[in-house]
Amino acid sequence: MAMTMAGEQLLAAPQEKVWAALNDTDVLKACIPGCETLDRLSATEFTAVATNKIGPVKARFKGKVHLTDLDPPNGYKISGEGDGGIAGFAKGGAVVVLTPKDGGTLLTYNVEAQIGGKLAQLGQRLINGVAKKLADDFFVKFAAAVK
Amino acid sequence: MPAVSMTVNGKAVTADVDIRTLLVQFLRENLRLTGTHVGCDTSQCGACVVHLDGIAVKSCTTLAVQAEGCTVLTIEGLAAPNGPLHPMQEAFREHHGLQCGFCTPGMVMTAVDMVRRKGNELDEKTIRHELDGNLCRCTGYHNIVKAIAAGARAMKGA
Amino acid sequence: MSATGIGAAVRRKEDLRFITGKGQYTDDISRPGETRAVFLRSPHAHAKIKRVDTKAAAAMPGVIAVLTGADLAQDKIGNLICGWMIHSKDGSPMKMAPHPAIAANKVCCVGDQVAVVIAETLAEGKDAAEKIKVDYEVLPAVVDAAKAQSAPAIHESAPKNTIYQWHLGDAKAVDAAIKSAKHVTRLDIVNNRLVPNAMEPRVAIAEYDSGTDNLTLWNTTQNPHVARLVISAFVGMAPEHKLRVIAPDVGGGFGSKIFIYPEEVVCLWAARLVGRPVKWTSDRSEAFVADAHGRDHITHAEMAFGEGGKITAIKVKTIANLGAYMSTFSSSVPTYLYATLLSGQYDIPAIYCEVDAVYTNTAPVDAYRGAGRPEATFVVERLVEVGAREEGMDPAELRRKNFIKTFPHQTPVIMNYDAGDYGASLKKALDLADVKGFDKRKRESERAGKLRGLGYSSYIEACGIAPSQAVGSLGCGVGLWESAEVRVNPTGSVEVLTGSHSHGQGHETTFAQLVSERLSIPIENVSVVHGDTDKVQFGMGTYGSRSGAVGMSAVVKALDKVEAKAKKVAAYMMEAAEGDIVFKDGKFTVAGTDKSVAWGDVTLNAYIAHKFAGSQLEPGLKEGAFYDPTNFTFPAGCHICEVEIDPETGNTEIVGWTAVDDFGTVVNPMIVEGQVHGGVAQGIGQALLESAIYNAEGQLVSGSFMDYTMPRAENLPSLKVDTTMTKCPSNPLGIKGCGEAGAIAAPAAVVNAITDAIGSEDLAMPATPPAVWAAIRKAAKMQKAA
Repeated sequence: MAMTMAGEQLLAAPQEKVWAALNDTDVLKACIPGCETLDRLSATEFTAVATNKIGPVKARFKGKVHLTDLDPPNGYKISGEGDGGIAGFAKGGAVVVLTPKDGGTLLTYNVEAQIGGKLAQLGQRLINGVAKKLADDFFVKFAAAVK
Repeated sequence: MPAVSMTVNGKAVTADVDIRTLLVQFLRENLRLTGTHVGCDTSQCGACVVHLDGIAVKSCTTLAVQAEGCTVLTIEGLAAPNGPLHPMQEAFREHHGLQCGFCTPGMVMTAVDMVRRKGNELDEKTIRHELDGNLCRCTGYHNIVKAIAAGARAMKGA
Repeated sequence: MSATGIGAAVRRKEDLRFITGKGQYTDDISRPGETRAVFLRSPHAHAKIKRVDTKAAAAMPGVIAVLTGADLAQDKIGNLICGWMIHSKDGSPMKMAPHPAIAANKVCCVGDQVAVVIAETLAEGKDAAEKIKVDYEVLPAVVDAAKAQSAPAIHESAPKNTIYQWHLGDAKAVDAAIKSAKHVTRLDIVNNRLVPNAMEPRVAIAEYDSGTDNLTLWNTTQNPHVARLVISAFVGMAPEHKLRVIAPDVGGGFGSKIFIYPEEVVCLWAARLVGRPVKWTSDRSEAFVADAHGRDHITHAEMAFGEGGKITAIKVKTIANLGAYMSTFSSSVPTYLYATLLSGQYDIPAIYCEVDAVYTNTAPVDAYRGAGRPEATFVVERLVEVGAREEGMDPAELRRKNFIKTFPHQTPVIMNYDAGDYGASLKKALDLADVKGFDKRKRESERAGKLRGLGYSSYIEACGIAPSQAVGSLGCGVGLWESAEVRVNPTGSVEVLTGSHSHGQGHETTFAQLVSERLSIPIENVSVVHGDTDKVQFGMGTYGSRSGAVGMSAVVKALDKVEAKAKKVAAYMMEAAEGDIVFKDGKFTVAGTDKSVAWGDVTLNAYIAHKFAGSQLEPGLKEGAFYDPTNFTFPAGCHICEVEIDPETGNTEIVGWTAVDDFGTVVNPMIVEGQVHGGVAQGIGQALLESAIYNAEGQLVSGSFMDYTMPRAENLPSLKVDTTMTKCPSNPLGIKGCGEAGAIAAPAAVVNAITDAIGSEDLAMPATPPAVWAAIRKAAKMQKAA
């Protein structure tokens, strides 16, 4: 019963600039909610630490982020798996597609996420709301970053 | 570790506690007042209800340091030492309002608070509604409801 | 009847300590030098454990040890076992997969133990558990019983995740009856998975004394002696005489505290390793994933009817979800505690039941209040009710027609019912529930825009578990007798030691009532001792509504011996023949004379031993007995539920509940009524509110009191509770047992009432407002289409 969510965001920046930002560690680090570190291991691999709260459970996730299905400058799939220790785990991914629109760029995304352990036991009810909020937070910051 | 001072069942107590210590842990582990119980970790079951400055609180969601300077009453202090039982305690026994006894201290403390807020004449509907924060798995609440109604009336004369 | 004897509503002796906060539950105990155990549990439902790195955790402040499944295996600590052997229909034994107390190679459900931290404090233990690093290789999970047999095997030893394929009854006779039936009622039923949720979470404290080599375990258990036996003989922790198990006040069990759990084994093992007491207290979140769950059946059932509504056969196919591992008595629940009750209260010539038990990546499932019998009652009572509706018969009349009326009655499924009057309980229930006035009430509800329905449940259960030889022949690994010892003090007061265990049932009162009546001594002069293997020699514990029927019968046997010995003493005191002594009203009298001595004189003389020589009689007055029942007992009755439903919201309100039960002799009507209240509440909980839900990945998403709907005071009605009485002929007191009846009877009564109100049988438990709302709409749509 993975959580799925789709959305789109119109960004006031050309597609190339958006694509570059999507591949910029500093931009991603600044935009991912609760992100403490994001270190590039290779062109498509990062390690990350992020702290997030789902309902009553707050967890510090440590994990890897992968970029796949790279299609510059039209999109990629970003996926990650985070180990939240005793709180459980979270994993998921987003297919991101960029298309030019109205002089800017339309970013559409399809997210699939899964949580496990105590996070799921206590937070499953809240996961959709939390995921929506995290996505909103990300895109507000991301839109500002590419302006 | 901060020091915390409060009055528990009429006695002044002071202790150094880890800042994350819950009031229920302080009562059970530091003071060895084990009549207050822990039945859940989401503030739902009410086995941990005590009175803080005369008002019922769930001691599992209260930090010990929040009770600084407060007066705490637990089930152990409800009746005077070597005195007669509190009318609500007596009513629970008389009406078989307990079986395993684990939820009972919280039920009794909640019931006494209910009387404070709602008066001595409590109808079944009110009692059932007011028990929303107290879970019992043994009695089906039938006799708890009867006990609280009777205990509330008995408190009027007490 | 004396004021404190059998049949009196004596106020409970144990209550004083509970209402004053002086109860001693396991978590209230603190041992000098105590350490705390914190378990790291799997967040995955199914995964290989590739590596467990405990280095960082071991270096954390306050950490004494971090232990893993590999350490456990190295110390040759044995696996947990299931103690009831079931054979498949092809003769092969059930597939019991290894169940280590800490997982070593793979985890099979969320909550499986992966490591344990032993630390100075709970907080330090929790902090350290955060630092354990586990590499998992996640495997696909299966959670549904229906999908288990086509999913990859969880355990190598159980292909197709099938534990056994068992059957009972005569398939040919049933098929023939169905073929020639006038009408056949068919139902698909899901018996929803429940979490027992006794209000006291489980706790274990283990202590090792290196000077004596003795291990002590304080544990929230319903049967301390069985725990000691299994932990000694199978887990191999310590010889039986070197292990003491103490079950102090226990805050509810409902079955979930029968079983031998991994955590208590780990605490014992760790206590010896670290040389200090080890305490583990489950929090509620842990309890949800680590306690055994209940029910979880998928069933297809058929009932064949002949002329005039005569039931001619029942055919049942059930898949029972036993979870990730076989818990202590899990195998018996969907077999001998289930299929054997499919005759209900009815004379049914042919019955056949097939049960497949399967592994899934969920918490183990075992006995929960009623254990198998609620599932059986739900099948039978739904079939009967729906059958009556389909045949246009009054459901009460259809039941009455088919009731067993002569006893003993041998059913086609093992049980031999010894006594009962099912018509009497039905009649009394019909009167008390004012069924005659139902139509009028229904019309009033309709005027207010509400739907009203009435549902019956004429249940039967097999309790007083159980004759040892009989259960042995069915695969049970132990005997199910009970022991008692009656110790009379020189001053005449009495201690009763029993192997039964009270975790809310009030044995300290009811057992004392029995002694008070029999010896005519004040009830204050009787104490009941239980729950300690060092005090009580042996016992089988409390479950299966057995304490009255079996435990008290053992006390009766011991009292018989005490009386016989006391008569000898009295005979020497009065210089009379032993055969002439009569014991009545607390006095020993020489028959036909006015010569008598009082109870207290006799008990004193038994100990001072001045009136007889050692060559004539042993001093003292203490007798023990073991009572092995000769049959199950068969409590039965009729519960009637009346509901009112708001069709706009689907909300069901129970507006009337009538319970009329035949429990045989009632020792304390106040306590018996309380047992019915509690049982009914759990049954209503199953029918309307409760459900343990795993998502497809095996995460328990109803894993807290925020999501798992426990019945609250506002969800439940006031209950009308009454009894009828036919004595149980197989035990000396005539007791049948009352602990499980409510939970067995209630679900069918509720669902029968709701389906009556909404006019559709297409409704699964729990009948939550959205489920009822959807069922109402679906039925309306289908009616429109038709």
